[in-house]
Amino acid sequence: MNKLKKALALVATLAIASTAFYACGNSSSTADSKAESSAAEESKEDSAEESKEESDEESEDESSEEAAGGENKVAETGDKLSILCWTGDDVEKMIENFTDANDQYKDKVQYVNVGSKGQEAREQYANYFAGGEDADLFVLEADWILDYINNDEYTAPLSDLGFTDSDFDGCYPYTVSIGTDNNGVLKAASWQATPGGYVYRTDLAEELLGAKTPDEMQEFVKDWDTFTATAKKLQEGDKKVALADTLGGMWQVWQYNRTKAWLDGDKLVIDDYCKDYAELAKEYYENGYVTKEDQWSDGWYAIGQDDSTMGYFFCTWCLGAGSMLSNAEGGEGGSTFGKYNITAGPSGWAWGGSWLALSPKCDNGEIAHDFVKYFTVDENTAKDYALFKSEFVNNPKAMKAIVDEGSNKNDLLGGQDQFSVLYEAASAIDMDGKITAYDSQIKDAFNNAVSKYAKGEIASYDDMINEFKKDAAKIEGITVE
Amino acid sequence: MATAAQRRIKSVSYAKYGYIFILPFFIVYCIFSLWPLIQTFVLAFSENGTRTPAIIGLDNFKTILATPAEGDFKALGIHESFWDGIKNTAIIWVGNFVPQIALSLLLAVWFTDLRVKMPGKGFFKVVMYMPNIITAASVAGLFLSLFGDSQYSVINIMFREGEEPWKIITSCWGSRILVMFIQVWMWFGNTMIMLMSGIQGINESLFEAAEIDGANSRQTFWRITFPLLKTIMVYTLLTSMIGGLQMFDIPYMLHTGNVVNDYIKTVAVFVYEMFHGNFAKPSFGYSGAASVILFIITSILGALVFYVQRDKDAIEKKRKQKEAIKEWKRKQKGGGFSI
Repeated sequence: MNKLKKALALVATLAIASTAFYACGNSSSTADSKAESSAAEESKEDSAEESKEESDEESEDESSEEAAGGENKVAETGDKLSILCWTGDDVEKMIENFTDANDQYKDKVQYVNVGSKGQEAREQYANYFAGGEDADLFVLEADWILDYINNDEYTAPLSDLGFTDSDFDGCYPYTVSIGTDNNGVLKAASWQATPGGYVYRTDLAEELLGAKTPDEMQEFVKDWDTFTATAKKLQEGDKKVALADTLGGMWQVWQYNRTKAWLDGDKLVIDDYCKDYAELAKEYYENGYVTKEDQWSDGWYAIGQDDSTMGYFFCTWCLGAGSMLSNAEGGEGGSTFGKYNITAGPSGWAWGGSWLALSPKCDNGEIAHDFVKYFTVDENTAKDYALFKSEFVNNPKAMKAIVDEGSNKNDLLGGQDQFSVLYEAASAIDMDGKITAYDSQIKDAFNNAVSKYAKGEIASYDDMINEFKKDAAKIEGITVE
Repeated sequence: MATAAQRRIKSVSYAKYGYIFILPFFIVYCIFSLWPLIQTFVLAFSENGTRTPAIIGLDNFKTILATPAEGDFKALGIHESFWDGIKNTAIIWVGNFVPQIALSLLLAVWFTDLRVKMPGKGFFKVVMYMPNIITAASVAGLFLSLFGDSQYSVINIMFREGEEPWKIITSCWGSRILVMFIQVWMWFGNTMIMLMSGIQGINESLFEAAEIDGANSRQTFWRITFPLLKTIMVYTLLTSMIGGLQMFDIPYMLHTGNVVNDYIKTVAVFVYEMFHGNFAKPSFGYSGAASVILFIITSILGALVFYVQRDKDAIEKKRKQKEAIKEWKRKQKGGGFSI
């Protein structure tokens, strides 16, 4: 009897204690989306009834599958397709567009938003997977995509969904090469290309440089020498206006001038490029060719309204409603609203980007296949989405069609069509073999050193490189000589 | 021979329920506190660059503590950032503790002084405690917009309109002094309340007697308040020191851009960055080793504080007592004589 009581009491206390773990398990995937609540529960639900419901849809899907060529090996047992992402902006619109076009998938797609960026998001993802929850697809960012696609625990090949490599021939090659893992297996596909250009104030350009059209302006910024000369000219006038926004913005463009990857094997590569950039950054900073604000700070946006800067380096996702350009203009009704135009700028570049990857735990093969196809393979639907969200989609043909139609008008750019300018730039981007899994950390270390050098806190270039080397060497997995 | 009933009564012990009721705490403690603690020590001796590290011995400590060879950038980087962290921690802690304790003491004395008739005492106490309630993230955000490097930060708009803006956040001493100030501002209310409770614990009659004897405020403070406040001061010093050595949130968050400001990078930030910065290959070993070193430093400093602040009179008294007993025993035994 006593033993029984003891056992009962122990069970009771354990039950109480275990509630602590329950709470912990959940909070690790702190998600703030409206879809979050159901993600865990619904996946656990027995799926017998759903498979019955969906049987009629499957017949439709089979035709598209055959067209794609491969065989969809992913089971269709789940209830809803859930997409893990780190910002809801894109995915929310994508789901809206996707379900509008595919009525049968209404209420069958949801997203889980970890609501953080950079390293933070990277870790939230790890927690999410450690928690054993099943997102079917997830969104990966350019900076840390390699962590995931090179790990079979986290990602399955897209061929599991029935895609073949040739399905993605219509995409920009650089997005395919980033989405391919070390073994040459395609693990992730992007729905967007993110080329950037130089966005400038039309009123200031006309007043100070006499440039009336984007083409005339391009003559003043066509390459880096001209860019520097123009910046110098602006500083010589009465109105001292910086030509570019911030050192951070300059770096975004300049890093695409790299000819090699940061790492040769696991060895850090420091070449002339580093010196060129460091000296350029110092020259620009000291002479006021860029403003002294920090990228992503409030000041970064403020300079867009008070004649501190002629323009910004912005890419496709900086140009939509509610985005960076909108902030820089002070929003609708802001003092510089619509007073910007875009031109190609001194050199071609891209900024970030997001990829869709397939989880090995995916249990919604059909919807997942159609979702990926809708945004990355199918030219027509990609074009629909491009117009729907004013997004630069990862499909040159679709973009070309939009440019030719001339239907896209961006109010933030005073009605200019940014796609016509960026269309050329996107094809020129070549990232083959130039990215490594450590890029974001190496870049942070390099930029920290360069910014100290530019601000005069580090006296010489050699000291700067030393500082950079010491900082980069702390990253486990790379060697520095 | 006990009857069956007696035996039954004897066996009813309620102690076990007590154990059962406190069991949840110990289970939770063991899993969330004790195990991580042990794990930290294990990790300190483990390799880096993997999520399932094997034990490698003292290498991590060697890298952190020993002067590395010229050209070994990895060891150099880790060694230097750890010692820079120690230096920054020490500077910021001293620069925050000294003004903080002075300010808190002054205010505590004023608030408890019978002769100071200050209106709205309760209001001021609440207001001064207030900064402690705000989360560190908000405080960092607030100070970034007040003292930021941008030409649009409050301080630069007020004083540097049209001129080169002040760069407080990225400058060496500017950022350090700012962190010191934030720490003082956030914690002086807390310390003040603690010291006030200490002062209120002192027997009122002592103050009254001093007043009757004609002691002025300064004499009362140095002869009565301060000596009797010693225990609570030791406590404050100790908690502040432990907190100061682990200082993390404000130094970590007070920066713009991706990289934490080097001049205010504390050891705790170093520990965090080593295991956190590299998702695929975390350096758990260096983090663990730095934590253990920090633990040892804290223990040594704590012991030192206790040693310096020990009650010398009591020790002297005890020694004398012992001697007296010895003397007495010797007398008893030998039946000898004393001069």
